[in-house]
Amino acid sequence: MTTLATGRANTGAHQRFAPARMRRTVLEMAYAGSTVHIGCAFSIIELMTVLYRGHLRYPGNNPRADGRDFLVLSKGHGVMAQYACMRELGWLNDSHVQGYFKDGSDLKGLSDSRVPGLEVTSGSLGHGFSVGVGIAMGLQLKGTDQKVYAIVGDGELNEGPIWEGALVAAHHRMDNLMLIVDKNGFQAMGTTDDVLALGDLSAKFASFGFETLEVDGHDEASVDAAIRQLWATGAGKPKALVARTVKGKGVPFMESDNRWHYTRLNAQTFAKAVEALGLEEY
Amino acid sequence: MREAFSNALVRLALADPKVLLLTGDHGYSLFDEFRRRCPDQYINAGIAEQNMVGMAAGLARVGFRPFVYGLAAFVPIRTVEQIKLDIAHDGLPVVLLGDGAGFVYSHLGTSHQSTEDIACTRAIPGLEVLSPADRFEMTASMDYAYATNGPVYLRMGKSDRGDVHAGPIDTLTSGRLLKVRAGRADRPGLIATGSMVRTAADVAAAHDLSVWSAPSLKPLSADDVVAAALAGSGLVTLEEHSVLGGLGAAVTEITSERQPVRVLRIGVPDRFSEHCGTHAYLLQEHGLDRIAVERRIDEFVTSL
Repeated sequence: MTTLATGRANTGAHQRFAPARMRRTVLEMAYAGSTVHIGCAFSIIELMTVLYRGHLRYPGNNPRADGRDFLVLSKGHGVMAQYACMRELGWLNDSHVQGYFKDGSDLKGLSDSRVPGLEVTSGSLGHGFSVGVGIAMGLQLKGTDQKVYAIVGDGELNEGPIWEGALVAAHHRMDNLMLIVDKNGFQAMGTTDDVLALGDLSAKFASFGFETLEVDGHDEASVDAAIRQLWATGAGKPKALVARTVKGKGVPFMESDNRWHYTRLNAQTFAKAVEALGLEEY
Repeated sequence: MREAFSNALVRLALADPKVLLLTGDHGYSLFDEFRRRCPDQYINAGIAEQNMVGMAAGLARVGFRPFVYGLAAFVPIRTVEQIKLDIAHDGLPVVLLGDGAGFVYSHLGTSHQSTEDIACTRAIPGLEVLSPADRFEMTASMDYAYATNGPVYLRMGKSDRGDVHAGPIDTLTSGRLLKVRAGRADRPGLIATGSMVRTAADVAAAHDLSVWSAPSLKPLSADDVVAAALAGSGLVTLEEHSVLGGLGAAVTEITSERQPVRVLRIGVPDRFSEHCGTHAYLLQEHGLDRIAVERRIDEFVTSL
């Protein structure tokens, strides 16, 4: 894995974490690799944007630096959104994007911890959050000020270990841990309401002992403010940010159309989607 | 053997503050000493084994040395995917301790019995599998697991069947068989692991057979298995585990490639327990008691 994290020369031009450009990266990867999971990458673009732009600390711009904050992408299916962030950071370059999914690519279709910048191997759902709880416990034992963010999908909340981890996080007063729920309302085969209704998530996490806020997951300013507020309040409690999102957000014909969980782009839909992003420059 | 385990754990934890013990609400008095002497290194993760194993991965990621304790029916069986994905995939230094392996929980039935754990863990890349036979092997296994600094599954079987070695083992060397006794060269040699080493030693003493203990099932020294095959006529493997995927399978994988030889696999047939009873009763039900083992070895010798 030596080729990654050296990336292209980081000019800073891409460090604005512009959501439209990141969505363009996702589309490029999905088209180049003829892959799926576009919708669930798009729903977390703004959440990722806010985290990388203003919260996550990577000393020396090093994805494996000691003292970094941890972003655990438990919903590994959304990994293209994180790849897009890593491209903004210069941790990935254009050839990584164009080579995605092709023979010999280091970048897999789901999150893989061997890639510097990704903390967990996930995609089998319900794993990452537990690892994040363990990391948070370890940092708590060490007494550092590092923080752990774990992004889970609402569909992923079907998995039992998430709730086991939530009990442990609250019991051990892990106030260095923030669970972020990407509440886009869909899972692979339908809506979460139809498949396995989740009820009032905020109330559920609050009842577990989390400091909880709900927010529009595409409103960057609101997400940023909510994250700051969660860290500032509820001493001794883990945090839960329930982010209402739209699966496929950013490309109108993909929004809330669950087919973009498993549909591949062709030349026509790729061009149409890129046009919909309205980028004047890239 | 449990005392040797507890002593080793306390010793390792006192020497290294990064050692943590995680238990899925199991252990009772087994951890009294640990809790008394290393209270800050003890974590009862609750009855939530999947999360516990994932947490251990997280703790290892930030520099800790977790020992994860559960019944073998839960760690590893209930948590195989977490072991594979969260721990072994990244070669994290987590020691998974599966207590009560085999038929130890004989009265409780299938939910607490574990005769498939070796098969499941052997197939996970990078995960070493240890199966000590007595307190001396246990102490050496704990030291080895800690020194290995990678993922290890340590299987604990019936602990009250007596020692098979005369005294402490200096060091466990990766994959090596330990000679328990030398016997006749015109008879099969016995390779056993865990609780069945005691049975193998008893049978072998009565019939002058060679016996090796296999405290390390993965890796398993191919050279040592070949040497055992060459030292006698045929091989017999004994384990309190399914005949599928355990020690017998590992030995036949090696011999079929390196030194073809007839191998009799004595282990649990491909079925669940029908009845409950004492550990001795369950061994009998599955043909692992001394009388059944002697009879099968006799038949094997005749067939050679």
